[in-house]
Amino acid sequence: MDVGVLGQYIANGLMLGVIYALVAVGFTLFFGVLDVIQFSHGDVLTVGAFTALATYAALTLAGVASPWAQLAVVLLVAVAAMALLGALIAKYLVLPLRNAPPLNVLLLTLMLGAALRESVRLFYPQGANPKPFPRLLPADALALGSFSLRLDSVLLLIAGVGAIAAVHLVITRTRLGLAIRAVAQDAETARIMGIDFERVVLITFAIGSGLAAAAGVMNGLYYNEINFSIGLLLGVIGFSAAVVGGLGNIYGAILGGFLFAALQTIGAVLLPAIFPGLPSAYRDVFAFAAVIGFMAWRPTGLIAERTAERV
Amino acid sequence: MTLLRCHELTVRFGGLVALDRLDLELAAGEILGLIGPNGSGKTTFFNAITGIYRSAAGRATFGEHELTAMSPQRIYGVGITRTFQRSRLALPLSVFDNIMIGNHRLLHHGLAFNLFRRRALRAELEAHVDKARALVATFSKPLAARLFEPVATFSMIDRRRIEICRALVSEPRLLLLDEPSAGMTHEETRELMDDILAARERLPGLAIVIIEHEMNVIERVSQRCAVLNYGRKIAEGTYAEVAAAREVQVAYLGTE
Amino acid sequence: MKKEGVPAFAGTTIPGLAGIAAVAVYSYFFLHAESQAAVLGLVAAAVIGVPVLGRLGWLSRVGASLAQHRAAGRIGIAVALLIVIALFRSEHFAMLMLASVLFYTIACLGLTVQFGYAGVVNFAGAAFFGVGGYTSAVLGAQLPHIAVLVIGGLLAALLGSVLILPILRTRGHYAALITVAFGILFRTFIEVNDALGGPQGLQVKGMNLFGWDLNTPIGEWSFYANYVLVALALAALAFVLVRRLERSWVGLNLDAVRLDETACAVFGIDVARWKILAFTIGNFLAGVAGAAYSMMTGFVAPNSFTFADSLIMVSIILLGGVGSLWGVALAAAIVLVLPEKLQALQEYRFLLYAVLVIIILLARPQGLIPRRARDYFA
Repeated sequence: MDVGVLGQYIANGLMLGVIYALVAVGFTLFFGVLDVIQFSHGDVLTVGAFTALATYAALTLAGVASPWAQLAVVLLVAVAAMALLGALIAKYLVLPLRNAPPLNVLLLTLMLGAALRESVRLFYPQGANPKPFPRLLPADALALGSFSLRLDSVLLLIAGVGAIAAVHLVITRTRLGLAIRAVAQDAETARIMGIDFERVVLITFAIGSGLAAAAGVMNGLYYNEINFSIGLLLGVIGFSAAVVGGLGNIYGAILGGFLFAALQTIGAVLLPAIFPGLPSAYRDVFAFAAVIGFMAWRPTGLIAERTAERV
Repeated sequence: MTLLRCHELTVRFGGLVALDRLDLELAAGEILGLIGPNGSGKTTFFNAITGIYRSAAGRATFGEHELTAMSPQRIYGVGITRTFQRSRLALPLSVFDNIMIGNHRLLHHGLAFNLFRRRALRAELEAHVDKARALVATFSKPLAARLFEPVATFSMIDRRRIEICRALVSEPRLLLLDEPSAGMTHEETRELMDDILAARERLPGLAIVIIEHEMNVIERVSQRCAVLNYGRKIAEGTYAEVAAAREVQVAYLGTE
Repeated sequence: MKKEGVPAFAGTTIPGLAGIAAVAVYSYFFLHAESQAAVLGLVAAAVIGVPVLGRLGWLSRVGASLAQHRAAGRIGIAVALLIVIALFRSEHFAMLMLASVLFYTIACLGLTVQFGYAGVVNFAGAAFFGVGGYTSAVLGAQLPHIAVLVIGGLLAALLGSVLILPILRTRGHYAALITVAFGILFRTFIEVNDALGGPQGLQVKGMNLFGWDLNTPIGEWSFYANYVLVALALAALAFVLVRRLERSWVGLNLDAVRLDETACAVFGIDVARWKILAFTIGNFLAGVAGAAYSMMTGFVAPNSFTFADSLIMVSIILLGGVGSLWGVALAAAIVLVLPEKLQALQEYRFLLYAVLVIIILLARPQGLIPRRARDYFA
């Protein structure tokens, strides 16, 4: 195997890993505070990406030229808008169903995701077609032998890791983070201790959705293209990653994200080497099969939930 | 005849020793009171005996069966049943359904029987309806009249009765009662104990271990007592002996 | 059934039969409606009218009447169904819809056993449905079709057994993930596998039962009516099977497993055994339904068995009322027919469907016809 090609795969894998991790962290945060799997999360990512696109179009119309300014505004608007959307979803759709059977909430969020996806497809101009995403990052690349390291990849990687680190800091070092962790551990006690449960939930959803928007923008910047269904597969993968890592645990979500990307990369590299001519779609088969096998081995994920049932 | 024999039974949770080399014996037909401060390992003992917890060391035998190596299902099969400290009933299901869950051993569960031999199933059903109704009636006649209503509609005391019936219906040899009188008034407690003793009359040889914080109950129904503290047995004997023991008083009340 | 005077008997059966007749009449108009205005009008009438009827207490009277007179109710429904079939017998669309609803109902009855009773969530229902479909495609030309249907079910059950170990070891969301991953995996696998037709899929020979070629129309009837009759028979069988299952010690064990595994274990119930049984039976039913369905449509392709289709199945059992058999049938009818009728809104139909499900989940979480308490020999 050519080192350059291998390097390409690895770089790609890392990129995917960061994006998956961002989505997975959102899932795990939502699960932590509300014991809910927010299946529309992937589609919030899509809406975020399209919001970014729309913002870019508006900026272009307004005559803003500097790519860095464009990037900053686009990112800001997408993240803020999705944070708001996440909070609204929490307030009006998820919180009211807090005491309903968990599958009802699951179905509700799945349908919400479908509704978001369809809305993008129907209401965004030409939404059904893939849309080019602006190149807002420098297009330079560093040549390392036969491997071409894109500068924008490096920047995106740094940004993604930075975002995750920022969330980690918030969770572990701030009072808000403490409140979030308290609610995640025991909502009732947290409330008794004076923590505003609803506010914490709304903020958590806002943070998670903001991360999704960031992931969506990153996805767009990396592939230079977005379409209305990117959120679907990313959502499933993000969910799988969060579960494999152990729901409710941020480290687990990050680990799960990179692990899934690694599985896909291994699948993409190994399988064609073992079975020449195997279609690349098999890498997804491989990755999901590995997830199933993994769950059989570690039923509660890599970093298991610390729940003890009182008998 | 010794029914249950525990020898150095030990249960650990990581570094915490929940049950520390417990030696305990129980004869057929005997009622043993198990008391001790909160967290002393009483419910842990029940969980270990019924196979919910794996013991780290020691043995427990029931007749000729080695309990420490058996699954909860098999332990039920040899005649040990229990109630839970926090009521574990299937709330959407009816009283009868819940009691039948406890009656697993005496029912036929084959798919062919249940799907195709409906007349035989109906006969078995009706026999057990009568049996369940009679059993529940020894605890509460109004309850017995509402046998097919969902458990969710009943009061806590009725639910407690239902749970005890669930544990009795399969005619066990050993019944483990975990704080049956919790949350009840003295009157209700007295009544419940009367009913339990009455039910025991109809199951000769039934041994009972009863965990209680209500000392009147222990004094009244138990023939013998064991006191646990921090997972260790600190006293054993009749209630009077145990209540007078210095270690027991210290465990409950502390030192001067 | 209690012995009552004839007038009293008639009196208490009337609400139930009236309810059935009302549904039949509504269905007639709904299937018949051509213009979008008519369809939307009917939908609005239902969305507004049903809660109003509920408030007036009419719905509970119908329900009580049907509960009291089970046999009369079943006959009434059978008669109403046959009348509707007879009225639409020459219309392809109506017959195709009816047959599809019945096949999906069978598959969703399977899912009900898995999730409604045993609590085993299955987000890959469409994949097992698809296994049946592919079985028909591959074996339909070689074996008698009765055998093909059974083999389709058995293969689906067999495939499901691959997931058993991970499912038994996991709880809740983790178990859900496994079936999600499996559904995606199955579809991707089929798609890249040219031996099974790849993305285009395979043709499936029309059903032929003991010489009766179902693709040949009888007189001026639509040939789909043939499939409706077969589907009706299969659905009735599935219904009786699942109903008997629920109204037995087996059903009790399944409920117990769903509600409290620890209590189960302590009372001798083998949790693994019952979960395996429920999962297997459920997948078998889905496989049989899928095998028959693909014979009707004449083809099978990976695009017919996506995660979205599995979601539709899950939403059918939730909308109907988890664990409720009639609820499944009603929900299947609504979920499958409504989007088809909103043709002009073709583009928007999935969006509207999603919004509708959300509204129902917020407004009536217990489902359309909530499951009733177990009544062993009603």
